[in-house]
Amino acid sequence: MRVVIAEDTVLLREGLAGLLEDAGHEVVGRAGDADALLALVGEHAPHLAVVDVRMPPGYDDEGTRAAAVIRRSHPSTGVLMLSQHIETRHIVDLVAEGGGFGYLLKDRVLDVDDFLDAARRVSEGGSALDPQVVARLIGTPKPDDPLEELSPREREVLGLMAEGRTNAGIARRLWLTEKTVETHVRTILMKLRLQVSADDHRRVLAVLAYLRSSQGQH
Amino acid sequence: MSRALRPLAIAAAVAALGSVVVAVATAVAAESSSTGWAELVALAIGVAVPASIGLALVLRRPGTRVAWIVLLGALSVGVVMAAAGVAELVRQDDPGSALGAWALLAAQQWMVLFFWPLALAYLFPDGRLPSRRWRPVAALALASGAGAVLLLALQPTLEDAFGEVANPIGIDIDERAGTIAFWACWGGLLLSLFGGALALAARYRAGDAERRRQVLWLAYGALLAPLWLGGNSLLVRVGGVSIDGALEFGVLMVLQVWPAVAVAVAVTRHGLYSIDRLFNRTVVYAALTALLTATYLGVALVAGRVAGGSAFAASAGTLAAALAFRPLRDLVQDAVDRRFARARYDGVRMVREFLDDVRDGCGEPEDVGAVLALALADPRAEVVFRLPETDRYADRLGHLLDVLPADGRARTVIGRDERELGVLLHDPALARRPDLLGPVLEAAAVPVELGRLRVELRLQLAEVESSRARIAQAGYAERRRIERDLHDGAQQRLVTLGIVLRRLQRSLPGEARVLSPALDAAVAEVAGAIADLRTLAAGVRPPRLDEGLAAALEDLARGAAVPVEVAATGDRAPPEVEAAAYFVACEALTNAVKHASPSRVRVQIERTTQALRLVVDDDGIGGASPSGSGLAGMVDRVAAQGGTLAVDSPAGAGTRIAVELPCAS
Repeated sequence: MRVVIAEDTVLLREGLAGLLEDAGHEVVGRAGDADALLALVGEHAPHLAVVDVRMPPGYDDEGTRAAAVIRRSHPSTGVLMLSQHIETRHIVDLVAEGGGFGYLLKDRVLDVDDFLDAARRVSEGGSALDPQVVARLIGTPKPDDPLEELSPREREVLGLMAEGRTNAGIARRLWLTEKTVETHVRTILMKLRLQVSADDHRRVLAVLAYLRSSQGQH
Repeated sequence: MSRALRPLAIAAAVAALGSVVVAVATAVAAESSSTGWAELVALAIGVAVPASIGLALVLRRPGTRVAWIVLLGALSVGVVMAAAGVAELVRQDDPGSALGAWALLAAQQWMVLFFWPLALAYLFPDGRLPSRRWRPVAALALASGAGAVLLLALQPTLEDAFGEVANPIGIDIDERAGTIAFWACWGGLLLSLFGGALALAARYRAGDAERRRQVLWLAYGALLAPLWLGGNSLLVRVGGVSIDGALEFGVLMVLQVWPAVAVAVAVTRHGLYSIDRLFNRTVVYAALTALLTATYLGVALVAGRVAGGSAFAASAGTLAAALAFRPLRDLVQDAVDRRFARARYDGVRMVREFLDDVRDGCGEPEDVGAVLALALADPRAEVVFRLPETDRYADRLGHLLDVLPADGRARTVIGRDERELGVLLHDPALARRPDLLGPVLEAAAVPVELGRLRVELRLQLAEVESSRARIAQAGYAERRRIERDLHDGAQQRLVTLGIVLRRLQRSLPGEARVLSPALDAAVAEVAGAIADLRTLAAGVRPPRLDEGLAAALEDLARGAAVPVEVAATGDRAPPEVEAAAYFVACEALTNAVKHASPSRVRVQIERTTQALRLVVDDDGIGGASPSGSGLAGMVDRVAAQGGTLAVDSPAGAGTRIAVELPCAS
């Protein structure tokens, strides 16, 4: 797949590019700020843009804002945001609003396979949400919350679903068969009174939307 | 003239008063029927009042001619009256005695009664004639006055109730020529008196409003003198009417008192010579002297008639006078102030009442400006305080003034013991009322002093507060910078390092794969370092504060050891205020968990238009001491933002910490 990377720290940017290239992807553009990123995306229409949240000139949320622009102007380009720390401002909204979006802490990159998997999912229209964000979303359920009815295992599965993983991915992760995972997923969706859908991505979005509304605020 | 003349003035005044004593004493000793008690009282008042007023003026302003005129005029009248008394006493026993003749000669000069009021009419208030054109008139007055004196002094024989005696310095002149000369002089004198009235009228016309007020009273008196004199002469000499001696005496004494009082009025009410206060005292004591004399004489007379013994009469009179002194003095002082200095009387009283209010705690000394505006009847009056430490000026609200406003208002320094306490800005017209301005400002010195100290204190406090707020803000900015540095510097490098290790690991050739577990461990170490850095950075400043206090507190609640309920709206406050609230909530939560064993903690945030309110309450054991060290850090943090912290922690009923951090929305 073709990838554009936006990261202002050169060494880190080259490291990321190296990782992706090692995995056989083609890094078609490297940007140091949001404007350069948008230009590269316009030029190459890549499958994926890996974007740092804080970039020059303000080192605030330039990356997030550029990501929103890319989603509107290039819906077919997946955006994977990388952040130094968890900030849920707009992030869950961006992920839940549709596929092709991911948000990870930078150090998740060090789990190279997970990172590449997330990159692939996002480029294919799926999602990736950092486990810390998911943990916050699931958090401590309030009384009368349907989440209370989930078994610990089912919660684990729900968390991995919220991270954007496919059934196969969850199965690998938990050392279960895909069929067992499928059963858990069905039970979870039933307990949360969500529509059962065959499409992994759409199921993730439904779960996220549910979590977002049940938590109320982030 | 110099201050050396002061002893002379005192001597003159003492001599004048002494002559009154002599006149009264001789009259009493002679048991005279011609000089009644009423005349004696009139005499005492007629000499004592001008003498006191003249002395007061001379003492304060030795160079003032008018003052000397009044003083010496009183002396001359006193001497003539004393001479008359002596002549009567001496000639009663021995009509031919030499002393009697000399005393009688002196007593002839009754015309001095008119001389000093006449001089006053021409020379008041500046000691000069109104203009050069008045010189001939003045010359006429001098010539006729001197002529009359000479003719009376040089007449061949002197005569009184005890018969005729030769004048020791008399010369033989033709009686007819003498009479004509006397009448010529008398006529000239009368004309001069009218001239004096005209001179005053001329001054009145030419003067400004202030000068007119100064001259007015004297002008009335100046008209009275020639009218009485002329009318009296006509009635007696032409109409053959006999005028009651006491009445004549009374009118003559009024003629003595009037000009002196007119001068006093000009000085006290209309700012002449700017010496009103001393003057006020003089008027008070002159009036007091007169009243006491009247009391003494009245009581002595009644006692003498009833008991018959003169010793008893004198004692009773003395006792009565002594008893009457205090109440009379207060009455007279009050009356004089009310009558002659009403504005000042009211103004000073207003300031004093304000000072009482300040002492009672129901007035702010800084409001002295408003009180002075009322007391001085000048709505634009304003007090500017001179700050003791910095020598700057500030208004009542503590606003510093680099320059005093130049808006046409006059400035008068308010001082005390040579120190400048402040400046009164006022209507320039007030500058011509030093009689009002001086005493009122003097009364206001204490509240002004208090006010400036309070303003200075408040300014310094505000400076400390703002510097503390600046330090707090700088501290916050520094925390933010450190947090960013940790995230964007060290953490980025560690991630980069981790990536390098991972790529190295993934590119290892087959035989080197044995290194892979070691590289896994290295990467895990790096990841651990990154997590540590993240925790550290969050302690310095939680990055989620960027998203708002609510988000940051949610994070805090999630990591807490007890269930924490956060109730917060998304309303934002300035970053340093949110940070302060966050850290206070942190400390409160930590304290609660550590000391109070609560089953739940509730954190509430409320944004009002003026403040950010934070309430942390738990259902723990309570009993937290508001002064305990655990709260000190919180209190400092809140104080640095100028906020307040209240702790309510009854034993066994949980703890509630309420914080209010000011911030305008």
